Amino acid sequence: MSDATFDAVIIGAGHNGLSLGTYLSKCGWDVAIFEKRTEEGGGLCTEELTRPGFLHNVHCNYHTLVGVCPVYDDLDLYDHGLKYVQPEVQMGSVFRDGTALTVHTDIDKTCASFARFSEKDAETFRRLHDEVKGYLDLILSTLMYSPPIPLLDITKALVVWKITDKAEFLSVHLRNMTINEFLDEHFESDKIKAMLAFQAAISGYATDLRGLAVSFPLLVGKMDNWHVCVGGSHQLAHSLWEAFAHAGGSVFLNTPVAGIVTDNGKATGVRLYDGSEVKARHAVISTIDVEQTFLKMLPREKLDPELVKHVEDVSHIDWSYYSVHLAMSEAPQYEAASFDPDIQNAWVLNAGYESLDDLSQDWKTVRAGKLADPKPNCAVNSLFDPTDSPDGSFTGLMRQFAPIEIGSGGMEAWDEMAGPYGERLIDAWTSYAPNVRGATIEWQSYTPLDISRRMVNMVRGDWMGGVIALDNLLTERPTPELSQYKTPFEGLYMAGATQHPHGFITFAPGYNALQVIAEDHGLERWWQ
Amino acid sequence: MPEATYDAVIIGAGHNGLTLAAYLARSGLSVGIFERRHEDGGGVNTEEATVPGFHHNLHAQYMEFIDYMPVYHDFELEKWGSRMIKPDTQLGITFADGRPPLIIYRPDPELDKKTHKSISEHSKHDADTWLELKTKMMEREFQIAATLYSPAEAEDDAEASAAMMSAGLSLWQDLGLTANDIGKAPKVLIDRFFESTEMRALLYRQCIEWGANVHAGNGYGFLVSVLWLSAIHYMSAGGTHTLAHAMANAALKAGACMRFSSPVVKILFEGGRASGIQLKDGTKVNATKLVASNVDPRQTFVDFIGEENLEPFRKERLAGWHFGPEHVLGTPSFALHEAPNYKSAKWNEDINRCFYTVVGFETAEQVSNYILQAYGGQIPDRPGAGTWVNSLWDPTQAPAGKHVMNGWFFFPKASCLSEAEWDEVRATYNDKFLKLWEEYAPNMTRKNVIADRLYTAFDIEKKMSMPEGDFSQGRAGGIGVGVAREYQYRTEFPGLYLCGPSAGGGGVSSAPGYGSFKVICKDLDLPKIWQQGGRNY
Repeated sequence: MSDATFDAVIIGAGHNGLSLGTYLSKCGWDVAIFEKRTEEGGGLCTEELTRPGFLHNVHCNYHTLVGVCPVYDDLDLYDHGLKYVQPEVQMGSVFRDGTALTVHTDIDKTCASFARFSEKDAETFRRLHDEVKGYLDLILSTLMYSPPIPLLDITKALVVWKITDKAEFLSVHLRNMTINEFLDEHFESDKIKAMLAFQAAISGYATDLRGLAVSFPLLVGKMDNWHVCVGGSHQLAHSLWEAFAHAGGSVFLNTPVAGIVTDNGKATGVRLYDGSEVKARHAVISTIDVEQTFLKMLPREKLDPELVKHVEDVSHIDWSYYSVHLAMSEAPQYEAASFDPDIQNAWVLNAGYESLDDLSQDWKTVRAGKLADPKPNCAVNSLFDPTDSPDGSFTGLMRQFAPIEIGSGGMEAWDEMAGPYGERLIDAWTSYAPNVRGATIEWQSYTPLDISRRMVNMVRGDWMGGVIALDNLLTERPTPELSQYKTPFEGLYMAGATQHPHGFITFAPGYNALQVIAEDHGLERWWQ
Repeated sequence: MPEATYDAVIIGAGHNGLTLAAYLARSGLSVGIFERRHEDGGGVNTEEATVPGFHHNLHAQYMEFIDYMPVYHDFELEKWGSRMIKPDTQLGITFADGRPPLIIYRPDPELDKKTHKSISEHSKHDADTWLELKTKMMEREFQIAATLYSPAEAEDDAEASAAMMSAGLSLWQDLGLTANDIGKAPKVLIDRFFESTEMRALLYRQCIEWGANVHAGNGYGFLVSVLWLSAIHYMSAGGTHTLAHAMANAALKAGACMRFSSPVVKILFEGGRASGIQLKDGTKVNATKLVASNVDPRQTFVDFIGEENLEPFRKERLAGWHFGPEHVLGTPSFALHEAPNYKSAKWNEDINRCFYTVVGFETAEQVSNYILQAYGGQIPDRPGAGTWVNSLWDPTQAPAGKHVMNGWFFFPKASCLSEAEWDEVRATYNDKFLKLWEEYAPNMTRKNVIADRLYTAFDIEKKMSMPEGDFSQGRAGGIGVGVAREYQYRTEFPGLYLCGPSAGGGGVSSAPGYGSFKVICKDLDLPKIWQQGGRNY
């Protein structure tokens, strides 16, 4: 690899690196991506964890910005083999009394389901939904797909644009509220509140953290836009890889970057694992965590001590996911189907949260390093994508909010607890769908420890690239001086999940970094 | 997926499909590869199968063809993340009863001395014989490789086949073998040349490793599996799958398209000519110039074309087609705290750093009985294994300080046991092996195992669509000489080619991909871009 020179060198072949690389290649740049792992896609990772033919998405399972995020069309990903299915019944909740709630792509059906619990809430939800959809493009373009502006400026803009005058739900007060408080203020049914909170929580938003209500309208706006990636989430990685290669880019797998080379305050290239150097004419772009980028790849003496301190202090999400992946001979048959038959075809299903208190209690339990009583979210992708399991069988997934460390045993304790806790999760699912236990051919657990083992950049099981909290959003994320995708080193950019908005398959960190790089280098914005 | 059109449509993204795709795309054709699985590489497969961070090769364990493999060099696969390590300490067998190990090192003037010393611990005669045969063999390695990477010409091209035949025969004679010996089973030849039970045990095992039947095969198995392909193994850094990805990268960079989770159900014809494929979801894909199948002949001809559309000779060939060999693989994977520390290391510490170590056999008879049980449809009683602890050579394959072990058992074909019986094997056989392993390396206790997993012949069939768990797509039963050569890569259907192991042999050689490319070039009058760099094939 010695003496190779590219226009841009990207560290990490996750979805942000691959998409940003493709945009830049299409600008005429010669782009190389160096990836430590032997597989492209980062968290877009699909494995036959149980039996052959059962495709388990061990990290990302839910793609919520399809059709909204500009990357899909800009990069013609559908011409590169990408396929999605949008389940008609997007979400469901089953309750101990045998009732169920369902969220549909059809708002009328969602409201009909809600109305069985509260007519008033159904109407409120419709108004919330309509209001959010009316501003969704604006919210997405200002909040997600552009470099972040201070929260104060956003709230001011809501006033200046007279949105708050007309709005019932969007308000400057959201920045002082938790999602739970927002729900308590507007809704009356415990079950509806629990379901709405649950969908925010599985997107990474702790519902008891002050200020996160600002993001709630956006979450509601995409609540009916959850997509199954056909053939497993890794297919998105495959299509990105092909798009990048066809645009002229080069991915070097199994080729770890050891260091970033700087000269006079400017990033000029990277040093690879074998000591060879690769030069970058215009940009070195890191899509991995800030800790590795600044504390491992750059020499300490070249860093401002203040920045070092900020990087050391980056807060990571203080809860993670414990998953159970199942090979199943039958789809779950819910007892609640007699109440609402649509529950059988719901994709993202919660089994257990009956009220906001349940959720609040679990946040406390998990942050205290304890295992909560299982109330998993359950999904059977095979109902919508038959290619993800052998004919006549089903691939199942359960995800449970979980502590990073268990008690005094630390993260290592997960290896002990993974088995017994998985049994409890399967019991929990079975208590709502009695055939689940018998239909389980084989299952494998996947713990927060496993997350950090597989993905080094997901520090301590942090799949979000940093905590989702008011002091780590927008211009505060991951640190104020790094929030605009630039760094103190000229030519060194940050474009991964650590950046605004956060992890998840948003493509926004890469897309927003692109805008900054395009500005710096006068690139023609062919994508606009 | 919308209907699409390519010049060339390739069924299967195994390493041969990727090889053919890369060459065809470089020749200027538009190429679409359609793969049933969600991932490229077929048997060139590595997964974090026990615990994340532990990389296990579930099929191919080592690479023996890298020096010869054209695609590796023509497409500079080392630029694309593929890296090969050739351990000095190549092949060994360890014993539990206090005997020294037997280790064969990489062919090299200095290392040959170590090989000689190690074999001499058991028999000086065997040591002399081994080095003499192996040295003669390696002097002709590229000549033998040429036979692998050159598609058999039509029978009427007598000149080319005669030249190759006579070169092979002269090597055969140099090795001290007669024309008569060609029909002899490898076991007969091994027993003739080598006297010690230790050397015989190791070579029986080495013989079956590459799919040659040690009891019922022929001299070719002795030549290729025992003499040529032993002790020249590379380890693929990062796991074997990195090689597949490097090939995929080469194909993509050349412009090929890869479509995953796209099972093919039908090969389409127009006026008798292969004109495209149909996918399971109903999508039709057009091929303006050719369709090439990387999958086994049963799927290609029976499933995708239909028996009713086949010529009598093809039906006959399929009826005689054996899936097997009679033994297939089972792959145990262990995530370990410590690497095994063998009792026999007190004689020669290199056994603890041997790339491929045979564990569990004390005598040649035990290896022979083991393999006979597998041939006979039984799970072998004594669970010996070939073992690879790749983290000794490439620490990236396991978390810091930990070790990853992959192995090969030999099992009967998938259909020999019921699904429930395979479940039982999957649940118990690793434990049986571990108990035996501990007799050879006392630290190999359950406490040293972080997690383990066994992947059976049944699983291989399900995962890879390799019938019976066979890694080389079977072979023509009983037909050795006089095969209608024009039907190696070409088929009786214009525009339809075979590019997988059934046409050009198993193993990660990429010879079938390369051979089919040469034949297609001839038929389509494409530039002979392989004629470069002084390669004789």
